[in-house]
Amino acid sequence: MLVRALMNSIIKAVYIAKKDARVYFFKWPNITFGLFLPAIIYLAFSVGRPTEISSTIPGLAAMASLFGAGAIQSVALPLERATGTFDRLLTAPISLTTIIVGKALGGFFFGMVLSIAYSLIVIPLSGATLTSPVLFAFGIMLSSFVFSALGVCISAPFRDIPEAMPPATLFRVSMVFLGGVLIPVATMPNFLQLIAYMLPLTYAVDMLQQAMTGQIAAQLFLVDTVALVVFSFFFFVAAVWILKRTLH
Amino acid sequence: MSLAVEVHNLTKRYGNIIAVDNISFTVNRGEIFGFLGPNGAGKTTTIRLLTGQTKPTSGKVIVADYDVNREPVKAKERAGVVPEVSNLYDEMSAWDNLIFAAQLYSVPKNERDIRAKELLELFGLHERRRDRVGNFSRGMKRRLTIAAALIHKPAIIFLDEPTTGLDVQSARMIRNLVKELNESGVTIFLTTHYIEEADQLCQRVAIINKGKIVAVDNPEKLKAAIEAHHTIEISFSPAQDLNDKLRSLKRVSGVSRVGDKFRIHVEDASEVVPLLVDFARENSLKVISINTLKPSLEDAFVKITGLSPEVMASEKEPIKREKSGNVG
Repeated sequence: MLVRALMNSIIKAVYIAKKDARVYFFKWPNITFGLFLPAIIYLAFSVGRPTEISSTIPGLAAMASLFGAGAIQSVALPLERATGTFDRLLTAPISLTTIIVGKALGGFFFGMVLSIAYSLIVIPLSGATLTSPVLFAFGIMLSSFVFSALGVCISAPFRDIPEAMPPATLFRVSMVFLGGVLIPVATMPNFLQLIAYMLPLTYAVDMLQQAMTGQIAAQLFLVDTVALVVFSFFFFVAAVWILKRTLH
Repeated sequence: MSLAVEVHNLTKRYGNIIAVDNISFTVNRGEIFGFLGPNGAGKTTTIRLLTGQTKPTSGKVIVADYDVNREPVKAKERAGVVPEVSNLYDEMSAWDNLIFAAQLYSVPKNERDIRAKELLELFGLHERRRDRVGNFSRGMKRRLTIAAALIHKPAIIFLDEPTTGLDVQSARMIRNLVKELNESGVTIFLTTHYIEEADQLCQRVAIINKGKIVAVDNPEKLKAAIEAHHTIEISFSPAQDLNDKLRSLKRVSGVSRVGDKFRIHVEDASEVVPLLVDFARENSLKVISINTLKPSLEDAFVKITGLSPEVMASEKEPIKREKSGNVG
């Protein structure tokens, strides 16, 4: 009975994700903030710098996942609340958790596809070697999941795109600077390192870095994995809590 | 008679504002139940509470035998909801909107297409099934929203101001659809600020004002309750402003002007008609027409709420999306 109810919830979450993909993937704010912004930030901080390009690829992949997975949430959720289509989901026989999972799945898929696409373009172009493709793909998957959950959480209080976009973008861009994408965490002052380790992006970049170079420290990889799972769970619970508060 | 909806001491507060104030009522299975009140009376908030879109501050709602707060999924499976403003996806076609609704309501895969086709034909939208809903007129959107609410064959359907903002033809079509649905056995819960609509459609009406229910009964019983008060409608030639003079007549409790006629509210029409004939003679006026009017539901509404009919007749602002938490 419980398994059946769970399966039913998962199926409905997938329907919501599929609908979101059809309706929102090609909305202009999603393309601007999800597709172009990571490329612009990456080019602005990588071109002309002495850093070897292969060492920046994990950062690009993580950033693409961060913006890709999150941008659709900043579009879909506030827009649906503004137009009333979110009420269609609320009046349907599904729980709020199922709705949130459905919303997160849409972002997860977009972030993952975008991150893989960027990696597939940049790795051959740069001549870099991807030592552990399976772990790299696992890292992208886990990152997209946590950033999608974060996206739902950040956009949950807002009822319109212009309200939701600025804080979400500010938060993500700040995280890019502090999360080891452009500047290695180890080279940061101590207090910034402390902040860096409170951000999920730091663990995502570290995980992808290990997979890229093949220098895998099992314990560190496990810490990254656990941290990303814990962050995902926390963002989900927070998103449900925030939405409940703003709805009722 | 079994009940489709039971509402017990329902209250909803938003901060210091009481949107719904300790209301209780029941809706019988198979009836059209009207929820009548002016804009801002609490109708939309009530419908949001009844459909599980918002949680009550206190009180209980039972829909189709399920407590909406304790077993929301089961209650929602048995209900269809048509909001005041279309909540369809403009980017998707009419067909895809119905299929998505069918998926959410667990309509079996092999029945989805059949049901969507049936409903599109019933609502006269089959020819436009592949068109984006964003290109539809307001009337078409409203019909499609009703179709989406019926995709899972609900036992009860909640309609929030179904004809607001529609042209006369579309409004008539929706009213006929509501009647047909009801004849097919569906219980209808309908909010409206159109008194005539409630009178035409509803078997019972609850009147809500400032979050409180002030009367629940059949329209005819509500009218009968104020039958002690008569209205005489009279027109004179030449037409002129006679409100003050008529008001000064004996046994006249109120006068209002409607077009070229005066509506004179009296306790007993038979006593006042001769006085009006004398009044016309004394003022060299010709009586063009004189009628005694039976109380309408509007009269009952005015008497019960103390509100003017103009308050009810006023349309809402060009349909704005009501955000969650607004008093409606």
